[in-house]
Amino acid sequence: MTDSAFRRWHAARVLAIALPLVCGSALAATDAERIDELERKLNESANLVRQLSQRVQELEKGAPRAPAATPPATATTAAPAQPTDPLADRVKDLEQQVSALSNQPDADRGIDLHGFADVGFTAAGTGRDSGAHLGALDFYLTPRLTDRIKFLFELNFECCDDGGIGVDLERMQIGYTANDNLTVWAGRFHTPFGYWNTAFHHGAQLQTSILRPKFLDFEDAGGILPVHTVGLWATGSVKTGGGRFGYDVYGGNAPTIQMHDPAVAGSGELDPGLAGAGARAATLGGNVYFALKGAAEGLHVGVHALTTEVSDTALVRNTTRVTMFGGWLAYLEDDWEVLAEEYAFRNSDLSGTSGRHNSNAWYAQVGRQFGQWVPYVRYEVASLDQGDAYFAQQESGQSYKRVVGGVRYDLNPKTALKLEAQRTRLTDRDTGDYTELRGQVAVRF
Amino acid sequence: MLRKCHLHAMAIALAVFCGAAAADGPVIITNPALTLSVDDVRDVYLGEKQMAGNVKVMPVENASAQAGFLSQVIKLDAAKYATAWTKKSFRDGLTPPPVKTTDAEVIDFVKRTPGGVGYVGSAPGAGVNVVK
Repeated sequence: MTDSAFRRWHAARVLAIALPLVCGSALAATDAERIDELERKLNESANLVRQLSQRVQELEKGAPRAPAATPPATATTAAPAQPTDPLADRVKDLEQQVSALSNQPDADRGIDLHGFADVGFTAAGTGRDSGAHLGALDFYLTPRLTDRIKFLFELNFECCDDGGIGVDLERMQIGYTANDNLTVWAGRFHTPFGYWNTAFHHGAQLQTSILRPKFLDFEDAGGILPVHTVGLWATGSVKTGGGRFGYDVYGGNAPTIQMHDPAVAGSGELDPGLAGAGARAATLGGNVYFALKGAAEGLHVGVHALTTEVSDTALVRNTTRVTMFGGWLAYLEDDWEVLAEEYAFRNSDLSGTSGRHNSNAWYAQVGRQFGQWVPYVRYEVASLDQGDAYFAQQESGQSYKRVVGGVRYDLNPKTALKLEAQRTRLTDRDTGDYTELRGQVAVRF
Repeated sequence: MLRKCHLHAMAIALAVFCGAAAADGPVIITNPALTLSVDDVRDVYLGEKQMAGNVKVMPVENASAQAGFLSQVIKLDAAKYATAWTKKSFRDGLTPPPVKTTDAEVIDFVKRTPGGVGYVGSAPGAGVNVVK
């Protein structure tokens, strides 16, 4: 503790003692008695201040206050010991311990382990799963080898539909930072399109809602986009007068649609291609954004694009040139959270004669924090051309509209309780509505 | 009446004392090899600025002065600041600044670290740059 901090600490103690005394005197019967009582207690407080000031001066001079604890050789013949202050001693001990910890070299501290976990329940109508369920247990590490070389590893344990536990090496990135304008990552990363996919991903506690927008879900959970990529990713930002311009450029393996039954259309699931692209095709994409400052502080606006060549594993293979582009905005300021993303598709059939197909998906979400409460609503729409093999062969590649409403309560900064209702209308391959009520406890550590 | 005046004077003195303590703003310091603006400092502490030329910027927190620093310089409360760093760490693989406990530790770190940046509650003395 510095001298000034120590003085403030003692002053706070004096105030803490003096104020109740002053307040307590208000109980005296008459004004005169009250004033006498106050005067007496103020005098007591003044004496206490003098004693404490003397103690501070002794400490500042390094005078031994507790000779019994550190007896000199002549302790038995020394003057009588001054009374020790156990609280002050305890504070000094704690300070020394914390100081020793904080001054440890980085290499001696090991690697920080962070993560997210969530559990919850779903109540749904007939024909849909209801009950309690495990969410994900997600660990990530951010070790640093040198000033410029860094790592990001993420391991995810997730409950599968069949009740088993799936383990996923979610991210394994090795990065080199040239300067603030350029960091290059190699490995498996969250594909940097839009905002949601890189900002939240498996961080359930970070995102306000329980569910992601359905069309942005993970590949193995109903998503229609390659939310993971294995390859290279260059990212950085440049400060400008009005804010900060940021970019992501990436390239990697093209995904494949793995058919659960090659003979059944629409039974496929995107495989991001950890071990390489089956058709030796590549995904290329980019995302540029501007983070405004000043009056519009907190507003990020961006545009993104992705192109890839995707084949499926059906008996008769379909190959599609997927071209996605769109825009997004995120406003995170003054207790508001406004998110919106748009994804337009102009896909071309490379293996057949169906030509070009236009599809579209978007969502908008608004939330507002009131103390620990955050009510929110989201509307999302996916209009996916079922003549496009890219969507038609994916199990979840059907069109829908969804309304989501919920409330989040932050028990503390690291624990969120959420309750969310959503109604979904399927609008082409399948039709019909369903409603679900979900609850979730999400933590970060 | 005099007694009441005496009490009022005491109350005013206490208020002045408390006010003076609260008005102490953080002093931002850097290693002499590093030059930053106040605007840069916010970027550094939010993980937006990692390098200054060829020097890796190494910010440290100061537990004894953090509340004032966050409210006056970063413009965030402690909970939102922690969440901002969780997001930054999760997305970009960065680690939040380590925490020192006293002004003396911060000054010592900044003096001996070429990219060192910190903040203290009182005048830091010689051997560091003060960001103005």
